Amino acid sequence: MTGFYWERYPDGLFATLIGVAATYCSPDADADDYDRLKRLAKREDNQQMRVFKAELRRALADPSQLPAGELDEAVEYDDGSDEKFLRRLWHDLYGNEPIAGS
Amino acid sequence: MGVGELRGGADDPEHGDRPERHHPRAPDAEAAQVRVEPRSRAEYAADLEQRAVSGWDQRPFGSSAGDRRSESSAEPLEPVRRFEPGRAHLPNPGDAVTYLDARRGERPWLAAARDCRPEVQRLFAALDQGGGHSHIRHEGWVTEDMNRRRVVYLEDPAQLDPAKRAAGIDGLKPGEYLHRCRQTATRIVDPDAFATAFATGVEHPKVRAALEATFDPDDKPAPVQLPIGELLGSDGHRYCTGWRLEPVDGSMAAARKSREAWMATPAEKRASNVSEPRAQPVETFEGGVAVFVFGHNSRGDGYEVVTMYPRPPAQH
Repeated sequence: MTGFYWERYPDGLFATLIGVAATYCSPDADADDYDRLKRLAKREDNQQMRVFKAELRRALADPSQLPAGELDEAVEYDDGSDEKFLRRLWHDLYGNEPIAGS
Repeated sequence: MGVGELRGGADDPEHGDRPERHHPRAPDAEAAQVRVEPRSRAEYAADLEQRAVSGWDQRPFGSSAGDRRSESSAEPLEPVRRFEPGRAHLPNPGDAVTYLDARRGERPWLAAARDCRPEVQRLFAALDQGGGHSHIRHEGWVTEDMNRRRVVYLEDPAQLDPAKRAAGIDGLKPGEYLHRCRQTATRIVDPDAFATAFATGVEHPKVRAALEATFDPDDKPAPVQLPIGELLGSDGHRYCTGWRLEPVDGSMAAARKSREAWMATPAEKRASNVSEPRAQPVETFEGGVAVFVFGHNSRGDGYEVVTMYPRPPAQH
């Protein structure tokens, strides 16, 4: 079956997280895209980013829940592991905000 | 002479590139036909290795019965003839031949379209006047060796300054922005095939939905994958080649991290401190896809296709 993870499994547990990360963080992303993502992350009225944040929290709480190989294939990060990439992403987007939500 | 004898040692591309030695003319110069190999040793080796692994045979697009035909015509370039730059949010290219001729010195990627049919030249001229780079990094002007060096050493084909290219400086971004590349570097080798894939893809519903999305300065559509067979026909994968990083300890994540470490290490310290990245030709693109990536257009009021590249089937 062809298609990115979020196309193959639109209701997948981390479809939004993987889709947004691929769009803004992969080597295909533009130089300005990461800054765009940082601004998007601050927009509390954006439904997609609310879902993204919740899925990012969930993935950081238990990275083993991530579908095997999908984040790596979509983003091709240089951080070495899903967890390291996601921790960097959380820090860049949400600073020192606790990962565990209230 | 095998590929292994061409790579490594004094003849290795990393030790400097030399053209093939010119053979002196035979005494009877009018009768003798002397073939001069125009490729450098490194390019020859990369071409040889690619053909040995993937079977790439350099046939022109349209020569195979499996090349795409439109529903209404047996002509494989029909989608390119119907291509409207405005529907891809690209500018009207004007006189494409004049545009290509005037710029091919400073924009060498345009040379690929020089001898093509007018509709292909028109598409290339329109692409070059937009903000995308698919025709610069993922088309046939990029040689196999350039593609291999892109994935291994992050050398950007769009970077025309040799020193900056060797340093991994991106050729399309301002300043000293480091070039990024996926764990594979791929291309559509034939300009007619490239133009057909782009023109056909732009009319696919998934691409139309992205291009017609309401513009948001901080948002952009997610990338889209389309089967190569849908764009170029059942033999379409034969017009795609690529190079893939070799895994490190069985891991592609480790390979990418290792490549980053190599690039971050000063050249004089690399041999002793980090492992040199290596790459192998992609064996096949059969069952693969073309990826369409979207971004903001130069006017800042809509989206365009900022790149399109073939991707081999996933290795699971």
